[in-house]
Amino acid sequence: MEGPRSIGQSAGHVEGPAKVTGRARYSADITLPGMLWGRALRSSFPHARIVSIDLSAARRVPGVHAVISGADLPEVRIGRFLRDIPVLARDRVRFIGEKVVAVAAETPDAADEALSLVDVEYEELPAVFDPIEAMAPDAPLIHEHPERYEHPPIPPIGGESRYHPFANVCSQSIYRRGDLAQGMATAERIFEHTFVVPPVHQGYIEPHACAAAIGPDGKIDIWISNKTPFIARRQLAAAFGVPEERVRVNPTSIGGDFGGKGSLMDSALCYFLARASRRPVRMVMNYTEELTAGNPRHSGVISLRTGVTRDGTIIAHQAKLIFNCGAYGAFIPLHFLHGSVHSAAGPYRIPHIEIESLRVYTNTVPRGHFRSPGAPQTTFAVESHMDMIAGELGMDPLEFRLRNVLVEGDESAMGERFHHIRCGETLTAAADAAKWNSPKPPNVGRGIGIYERAPGAFGTSGATLSLDRDGKLILITGAADTGTGSFTVLAQVVAEELQAPLADVIVCQGDTDTAEWEEGAGGSRLTHMAGRATLIAASEMKRALIELAARHFNCTSEQVQMRARRFIASDGRELDWKSLVAWAAEHEALPLTRSGSYVAAGHPDVTCYVAQVAEVEVDRETGQVRVRRMVSAHDVGTVINPLTHQGQIEGGLVQGLGQAMSEHLLLRDGAVTTAHLGDYKLPTAMDIPELTTVLVESQTGPGPFAGKSIGELSNVPPPAAIANAVFDAVGVRLTDLPITAEKIYTALRAMEKRN
Amino acid sequence: MKNIQVRVNGHPVAREIPDHRLLVDFLRYDLGLTGTKEGCSVGVCGACTVLLNGQPVSSCLALAVMADGGEVTTIEGLAEGDRLHPLQQAFIDYGGFQCGVCTPGQIMASKALLDANPHPTPAQIKEWMMGNLCRCTGYYKIIEAIQAAAAEKTEP
Repeated sequence: MEGPRSIGQSAGHVEGPAKVTGRARYSADITLPGMLWGRALRSSFPHARIVSIDLSAARRVPGVHAVISGADLPEVRIGRFLRDIPVLARDRVRFIGEKVVAVAAETPDAADEALSLVDVEYEELPAVFDPIEAMAPDAPLIHEHPERYEHPPIPPIGGESRYHPFANVCSQSIYRRGDLAQGMATAERIFEHTFVVPPVHQGYIEPHACAAAIGPDGKIDIWISNKTPFIARRQLAAAFGVPEERVRVNPTSIGGDFGGKGSLMDSALCYFLARASRRPVRMVMNYTEELTAGNPRHSGVISLRTGVTRDGTIIAHQAKLIFNCGAYGAFIPLHFLHGSVHSAAGPYRIPHIEIESLRVYTNTVPRGHFRSPGAPQTTFAVESHMDMIAGELGMDPLEFRLRNVLVEGDESAMGERFHHIRCGETLTAAADAAKWNSPKPPNVGRGIGIYERAPGAFGTSGATLSLDRDGKLILITGAADTGTGSFTVLAQVVAEELQAPLADVIVCQGDTDTAEWEEGAGGSRLTHMAGRATLIAASEMKRALIELAARHFNCTSEQVQMRARRFIASDGRELDWKSLVAWAAEHEALPLTRSGSYVAAGHPDVTCYVAQVAEVEVDRETGQVRVRRMVSAHDVGTVINPLTHQGQIEGGLVQGLGQAMSEHLLLRDGAVTTAHLGDYKLPTAMDIPELTTVLVESQTGPGPFAGKSIGELSNVPPPAAIANAVFDAVGVRLTDLPITAEKIYTALRAMEKRN
Repeated sequence: MKNIQVRVNGHPVAREIPDHRLLVDFLRYDLGLTGTKEGCSVGVCGACTVLLNGQPVSSCLALAVMADGGEVTTIEGLAEGDRLHPLQQAFIDYGGFQCGVCTPGQIMASKALLDANPHPTPAQIKEWMMGNLCRCTGYYKIIEAIQAAAAEKTEP
């Protein structure tokens, strides 16, 4: 042992005291002198031409400092990858909730009054809401010139990919491996099923908020609930037509992200209001705006066709995924819905495969990213499909999976060569903990689901570490902590490497002027990538401290060792941390700063599995489902912080439970009708099942101290596991989400009639 | 416009405000007490929970004038200097929050619970806290934190 260990210890969030006392500052809490309230008028039509906009009455409202429409803005479009959404609609609106006019006023009341006096004349156009109808030859065209929309070069992932291959299709990705036709020809049985998944909202409790201020020197300060400040800066600078260094994105606490807080949302508009009014402006969305015009999860229709041998070996698999991306494709950071292609084959050994994933424009709210984007939808389909096939073959669902999942030495359906594959072990661990084969009371069923996702390995991460004159270690990161506990994990990495008590490590989120470049949170990359960068900075610091000690001892640094926070020379002389710091301060060596930067070495060669078993009880009379118990088994690396690690598992699982059981962003004629949190049903404390977590541990991860990722796993299998359990309980197979009492009641009555 | 006098976290406050000013806006934007958060704005999520004369209320649904002559306690009023309230400490130690935006409301609601029932069962905690939504934790650790605070345990 070399001093107190930090890795593997449960530690409460380092920013905890600020968060439990109300001192943590979120974007909506930012107040600047002279600040105005920005508000937006949104379209009430799903598809219409803007004939005219009259702002004159709005501009006369006392306290109003700016009223702007699309015509007042440069002709730019914004987006996380594809830039197809205007800051304010120009000639056309494409969904109910699209921003048309914005005002900045001294009070919210004045802003609202001004908006009520804006006169917009629309000419309604035919609209289309369903992605399959939108691909019909006579469907209304939603984007007339999509080829003009800009985007970075398409990276070589997701198979062959194209933007706008045909009318109303935003993007298409086709992945092929082996020979599908030949595979299907050799199959003895072929099964085909179609599944429907509705849109669901991230449900963070903090609606999007932002603030913008323009300094006398032209510096643009932005506060934004965004998990990737440096990427936001790049996108904002492009939208404003200024160099990146003119924009500074400032750190704020983020009130929940789950993938939804990666876009600019209102922040570009907020800047244009600040420019027009010459005052700082804040914009805070209300929750109705969040639900009706945020960036919810893609809904879609997923058709699967799988060929197997009679003994239950999968030979060939075809997936066609048609996702509704809403009116714009701007809200995802890639050209395709990554998790849809990746999880369409599941963690199975399949020689012949073809996956086509489409994102189709409709006149509905634009869809975005939400915790393992594309995966829960696709996994619901794939894992239900696997159970249906097992059932047809008369096989136990667990046995069928164990026969087909990847084992060491296999290449995945995506062509990845992973080491330390623990898919079967994880499945077995979940089944054992759930007592898979134990007797069940009537109307009780068990269902299983599995999902695989590798730790994120992309972008660049940076860290700056300073030793101050008090002997404290100050870590400056450019990453925002979206609530996952990443600041705490980074502090633990520093504490471990420098054998320091956790309390001596202070984590600060730097702004984009002062922090090292950081790609930010997303894709389960932060512990891995920012953790690695932090470890490099901490190792460099250790080396520098040893050099200092060598100077003090008047020997070479090779002759000095650091052990248990003491510096020990080979001749036996010793110096403790405090004395070294005091000596260094005297000799003008403090503060001492070292930085680290980390670029991924490529796709990681290890991955993570999660297997879950749901146990449900169905009331045959009402169709009501009660999830009695969930087992979540995880293939994990070194667990850096057991408390926050478990927090990710529990929070994700309940999010998956919500998607399975109660959440449905209902749309009628393009309008979201579940427009507040009374109608859009997030799980409450009363809804949570008994939970058993099993960790299948190994020290094999690519992250610091062999850690893996955990953030985007437990939320994925619940819909499939619960649907499979419902079938096991009462024989009702639901192929659409959520799993409501009404659907089960109807199916049970229909079954009774048939019998 | 109306003149109101309220004791907020023990301090007397007098302000002239519009009759329709919501309590949450009064606290956040008139007094600068931004620890109280607004989530759903319709009294469902509980993020804006404060204590009005000791009772938990959704400050997004309450008018500031309703607090006239009364006493309001917000999250800023719980700690004594640097000494955290046992609930605040337990929420940190037991992982009862992640992003922290619902936390002021969770802590104020659980304070009202423990004031009314110092030793609630897990079932009573769930029932009381169902009016406070949390999207990060899945509630397990919130329940543990409240139980620990009730038992006056500070370390897990």
